[in-house]
Amino acid sequence: MAARVIVLYFGAAQKVAGNASEDFMAEDTLSLRRQILERHPGMCRVTFRLALNRNLLKEDSLLKENDIIAILPPFEGG
Amino acid sequence: MKNRYLVGGPITPLLISELMTLGNDDNGAGAVSIFIGKVRDDEVNGNRIKALEYSAYSEMAEKEADGIVKTVKAAFSDVRKVLLVHSTGIVKAGEASLFIMVTSGHRDHSMRACRHTLEMVKEKLPVWKKEIF
Repeated sequence: MAARVIVLYFGAAQKVAGNASEDFMAEDTLSLRRQILERHPGMCRVTFRLALNRNLLKEDSLLKENDIIAILPPFEGG
Repeated sequence: MKNRYLVGGPITPLLISELMTLGNDDNGAGAVSIFIGKVRDDEVNGNRIKALEYSAYSEMAEKEADGIVKTVKAAFSDVRKVLLVHSTGIVKAGEASLFIMVTSGHRDHSMRACRHTLEMVKEKLPVWKKEIF
């Protein structure tokens, strides 16, 4: 069943989304990626990884209510 | 969550002095290695960079920085302290945005661990920058 999740945008992703955060209803991160690209087609030009509740995801994951998904373009610190 | 690894604005000479004092209270440490990363005034498409504006996913950055410090201490047995501070917000060209200090019993581990910490910061710290011209 789809869960309400919070998506945080950072770096170039934030610029494309025009928002720092948005809510989505999604069952898993695969569905979430698809919805993000539908809502923000410009995101297809942004390379990004996902973090689920502050942990970098290595593969797609199921989502539960109030999960926080971060959209992380390549890091630029240092 | 309290920010232990992120600081708003540049890493000033005063802050560097305080960090050095903080990391230097151990008479068993015979070596102290420091890396300071500064903002360059690079030219991009004919425009000179005046500053960088850093943003971070603070909650994750604090967790990742904690992990970096633990990993470095585990990888280099002679290391005694690892201090790591990264800027957020606006840092002007010429100012410092990253401070790493590693103390160890002897020089080899402090120098190698300092470099290793820097590479891990670049790989793992969720920080982004925007050029200001």
